Amino acid sequence: MTDLVIAALCLFAVWTGWRVFRVDSMVRASFSLMLSFVAVGAVGVVLSAPYIGIATIFMMAVEMMVMAIFMVMFMMNPAGLNPMVMVHQHRVAAVAGGLAFAGLAAAVLAADPPAARVATGTDTVAALGHELLGPSMLIFETAGVTLLATMVGAVILSSRRGRFGPADDGSRPPGLEPGGPPAGRQPEGGGGHHHHH
Amino acid sequence: MIGALLLLAVAATLAAGTLLAAWLDRRLAGGGGIASLAADWLAGPVRTEAPDDMNRRLAPAWYLALAAAGLCVVPFAPGHAAIDSPAGIAIWGACEALTVVVVFLHGWSPNAPFPLIGAYRYAAIGLPAMLPSMFVLIAAALPAESLSLVAIVDSQRGAWNVLRQPLGLPLFAVAILSLTLRGPMDYADGADIAGGTSAEEAGPARALWQAARLAMLVSACAMAATLFLGGPLGPVLPGPVWLWLKTAGMMAAILALGARIARPPPARMLGLVWTVLLPLSFLHLLISGVIAL
Repeated sequence: MTDLVIAALCLFAVWTGWRVFRVDSMVRASFSLMLSFVAVGAVGVVLSAPYIGIATIFMMAVEMMVMAIFMVMFMMNPAGLNPMVMVHQHRVAAVAGGLAFAGLAAAVLAADPPAARVATGTDTVAALGHELLGPSMLIFETAGVTLLATMVGAVILSSRRGRFGPADDGSRPPGLEPGGPPAGRQPEGGGGHHHHH
Repeated sequence: MIGALLLLAVAATLAAGTLLAAWLDRRLAGGGGIASLAADWLAGPVRTEAPDDMNRRLAPAWYLALAAAGLCVVPFAPGHAAIDSPAGIAIWGACEALTVVVVFLHGWSPNAPFPLIGAYRYAAIGLPAMLPSMFVLIAAALPAESLSLVAIVDSQRGAWNVLRQPLGLPLFAVAILSLTLRGPMDYADGADIAGGTSAEEAGPARALWQAARLAMLVSACAMAATLFLGGPLGPVLPGPVWLWLKTAGMMAAILALGARIARPPPARMLGLVWTVLLPLSFLHLLISGVIAL
């Protein structure tokens, strides 16, 4: 029964992962990827790793929400509802995908996963906490501080009120048709000190 | 046997709580009440150009499902929850995170301006507003030394968390307002953008969306009662009755609060959330940690 549930969840994860490249919008792609990770998280819950499984689900919900917004912001595809092609650089992608699959498959075949069942009543959540804040604390904290520094840096770099002046100074939005006049609000020229006479 | 009974309690609490929430909403917050839900149900649907039909139809159902899933981890009697998970509080956190996704999809899928504005505003405010509630959840788990809600209820036998963690309930109230699209945190469905994510919606879908908002209010208030008011703990009366009383009290308080606080412009609220609420939640975690030690 457990095997059946895990098999169904894995198939769902693969199918939604495949959908990421078949849907024609960044929002749909982001949330297809989220569903794929939700299925992986559910596998974790079934495999007696409830905290890691549920943490995967809520982390991915937040991450994919952020990703959907950023994708729409940077993809010049208003709202993400306009059809767009989700794949590019086919040859490079095929080689990279083949290599990644071979590497991961080799890792799965070479690894020696524990065969013993987790005894009922084992407090796996507490065990995980002791591991993370004990032997693995240096790795855990290093990764955490690095990620935090990256996020702060990204926010500072993308902030409009940056230390080097307004970020959109002198920028021109793309035209609605090729070669056409820039769309939307026209940015004021002269470094923001433009005066009307 | 007891599992079936608990599932029945969850379903009954959600149904009765939603009706009570609709009535309280009408009395305390000037909402439409049960009659407006029924009128919505009977109206014809609205069509928009090239919508994402799957997400549009599923969004209200997902919202309701998240409310139900969240209520499933709430202990109805000391030691008994429908889903007694060692990571129960993380399940509620996942429900909160997925709610932001569902509200965003509800606004994105009709492919119309006002719903889309509501969706983006909600994603921008709802996500950071969720962060303080995550720290509140972590702080509530500290005295119990467990992520299980059953253990968190047990840890409050001496003193309720509302006394040990004074900042917790106010911070969680902000999360409830945000999760239920209400009052000062209603950036998704506000009247200033003609109903936001619900602007292009009528008929059963609209009724279900409004009912799901009320159902989420029931679940979030039951969670607040569990985290801070001892949940089913109390003298004389049986556990579930105490939980229902505390949940109803929280619902009335949240509805009254939501109706009395003005909604600032999104940009100012974003600043408030990041520069006031988030540091407050760090301070809350520190206070709760020191007291728990």
